[in-house]
Amino acid sequence: MVKAMMHIYKLDGNTMDIVSCPPQGVQKGDYIIVRDDALNRSLIVQVTNIGYANIPGVLEDILRDSSTKNMDGQNLDFLGVKAFVDVIKDARVFRCKIRKAIVNGRIDHDISWTPSRSTSQLINLTDREFLELIGLHGENTITLGTTKGGAEVTVNLAAIDGKLNIITGKKGTGKSHLSKLLLLSLIEKGGICVVFDVNGEYINLGYGADYKKATPHEKIIVLSPGKRFKVTLEYMGLGVFLRIMSSVLDLPDNSAWEIRRIWSSLSQRNTLTLKNLRKAVDSVLNNYVRDALIRRIDSLVSTGLLTDNLQEASTLEDLIFGLNNGGALIINLRGLPTRFCHIVVEFMLSKLCNLLERWVLRALFLFAEEAHLYLRKTYWEDIVTRMRHLGLFSTFITNQPDSISDGIYRQADNVFLFNFTNENDLAAVSKATMVDVETINVIARELPPHYCLALGRVTNDFPIIIEVKALNVKTMGETRLFFTNAYKQKI
Amino acid sequence: MEIAEFSQITPKNFIEIGYTSLKDVVDLNLSRAMTVPGLDGGDFADEIELNATIGNNFLKPITLLNPGEEVPVFGVDVSNIDLGETKEGFLCAIRGSIVWRENKTYKYVRHGPFIFHVTEANKHFLYNALRQRCFDVNEGVGAPIMERIPEHIRNILERWLQKQLSESRRESLLLWDGSMTTRTVNNPISILSRLLKRARDARNVILALSKKTSISAFGRRMDSLLDSGNAPCLLDIDDVVRVQYGKYLRFFGKIYAVKLSPGNLSFRLDIDRQVPQEAGIQAVENLLCSDLIVDSYPETLRLAHIMSRFSANEVIAMQRFVAENYGLKIVQRPNIRQILFGPYTGIRSKRS
Repeated sequence: MVKAMMHIYKLDGNTMDIVSCPPQGVQKGDYIIVRDDALNRSLIVQVTNIGYANIPGVLEDILRDSSTKNMDGQNLDFLGVKAFVDVIKDARVFRCKIRKAIVNGRIDHDISWTPSRSTSQLINLTDREFLELIGLHGENTITLGTTKGGAEVTVNLAAIDGKLNIITGKKGTGKSHLSKLLLLSLIEKGGICVVFDVNGEYINLGYGADYKKATPHEKIIVLSPGKRFKVTLEYMGLGVFLRIMSSVLDLPDNSAWEIRRIWSSLSQRNTLTLKNLRKAVDSVLNNYVRDALIRRIDSLVSTGLLTDNLQEASTLEDLIFGLNNGGALIINLRGLPTRFCHIVVEFMLSKLCNLLERWVLRALFLFAEEAHLYLRKTYWEDIVTRMRHLGLFSTFITNQPDSISDGIYRQADNVFLFNFTNENDLAAVSKATMVDVETINVIARELPPHYCLALGRVTNDFPIIIEVKALNVKTMGETRLFFTNAYKQKI
Repeated sequence: MEIAEFSQITPKNFIEIGYTSLKDVVDLNLSRAMTVPGLDGGDFADEIELNATIGNNFLKPITLLNPGEEVPVFGVDVSNIDLGETKEGFLCAIRGSIVWRENKTYKYVRHGPFIFHVTEANKHFLYNALRQRCFDVNEGVGAPIMERIPEHIRNILERWLQKQLSESRRESLLLWDGSMTTRTVNNPISILSRLLKRARDARNVILALSKKTSISAFGRRMDSLLDSGNAPCLLDIDDVVRVQYGKYLRFFGKIYAVKLSPGNLSFRLDIDRQVPQEAGIQAVENLLCSDLIVDSYPETLRLAHIMSRFSANEVIAMQRFVAENYGLKIVQRPNIRQILFGPYTGIRSKRS
């Protein structure tokens, strides 16, 4: 621990201003301990902003320097006072947020007490000391990366298991990279994951950067709906079928009633196939109902998701059971029409919930990139409430923070915030996350690429800036470019 | 004139005596025995503020019409500031600067800051040691009251810098901030008169510009005595002022009111009495074509003032310097007036 020349300047609510002279090498995001020995307590405060101390006379100095800037001259400062002036001029004020307290060596939530301004000792914690203090280490951990100071950040799996995570930040800051890191770490620990991959970024996770098969290769199953992933009507089930017909394909109620009747009839006769269903619909007497059903069934059939051929049909159970000791189903939605995406997602979520309800599956982790593109609004709350209790633990990844409702943010257990510069994006995040607006506005704005601000249980509710560790698999997150070196060589 | 020439002129006495005052607080108690009764000779007293009243309405301004000759112009200014009180006394700092204009460019050398720890015990030592070592005088004099010591030390530095200029420069204009007046009429060894003589010997002309003098005629302030239309011009008020103050003060300079450029501002100007009046006027005309004049004031003097002034930031830095290097801590003394009068303390006049 480094004892620094720091003093408490102001305390306002949970905001503490600390003066540092000479300025310490403290950065935004660092933690300082404010120790009041008389009270035998300490406060853990985080530096959220750094400014110059408002020292009288600085403006006068600057103006004088500017008026004599073009003059040749010499300062015969025999005592070397200039060095002291420079130190005073560079004095900093650290705007800090009080996070928690330490009482009897233990982290405590009571921060309602006030430390002495004159006698408190302020200690700048190194990253390693801080991580040791907040106790992120445990037996079952995954490594997310390092702090700015180079200390390894390992988080307890329990902080991710059963939790709702949000990864957000502007384009190109490393959101998908973190998502893949989490995914691979969970797989490694035996977790079962499902990924809605809208950009086809996850399909090569089984390969290394050199395109050779990597360690997780056997644990990654890529499903291309309509191509190699098809299911039978019977496996889809009436409930899922009706939900797709009504929610995605907007089937009117009376037509839904008719198709239900047809389905039951075919099912009772054990002749439920696509072909028979289409034939039965053709014989519906009411023209309007018949036409409505035909259009929608044709639309569903055209996706290729459904098949009558049992040889080419799959079941999620079989696929998931094939992932012994952890693995991921990557649902490749790349290039699929929006409506088809909706159908696939509706099918997947309904079936997974069904499997969880029946305890066929214990629990699984869902990774949803840009979920607003394919997830019905009504589904969001269902996912974070009902499905969560069933054992579906979601991680949403988005570069449009306002696409996720405030309600979802408030229920989030962990938020991984990457760089944002747009005011509206920052406002959307800051009004709903579990940390104060100032922390978001200042720190998130200045995060370099591949650095994120981790908030929530994953860091024991201490916001920490993490440089996400590199992966040695083919991440495919890069944007495709026209003017590449290969192109240049070609022309 | 190169900067190096001035930067080699080191006011060693200020460094050494300042250092001694900070370092040897206890030892200096011995110097009580050195106390010399009697008052200060007056050479280093603060500038005297005049309030002359001009009764003669027929004074005619001297319009400066002749084109001057470009000559090197040197300005000197110093400043002092209190750094705070200690258990034994108080700390003060002084700084001086020389600014000059030559070939249309300004250059400067800034001396200091010099920090002194002034106590009742060491004030005689401080004052006399500086005075004797800087000006080669042997006799000791009584020091002013402790609160006035910083201004006197400041004035010693100012005179010392003026002396360096007078001795090292030739055929130049030397601008002083202040006047050429001393309090004591019968002071046998006036340092001021020696300075002026050395300047004359080197064919320098000293112009002292004072911002403090208040002179009025028929209730009109000096600013109104000189019409803007006549600027640049001088008004010879030497006789008027001497009639009123001649008994109490010694005037080494001939006194003028001067307006160097059109505008509201006028200043008192002292020109060495031993310099013929025509040569004095010629010197002012030389100033007009050798220096920038802004608001009737020479730029060299304005810059010298800016360079020597202390900022609040520097005060904090010097307090830190003495605390770290000499272990001297600033103490907060109870404010007697505040204790006695509470909210009726009123506004105290500034000490300097």
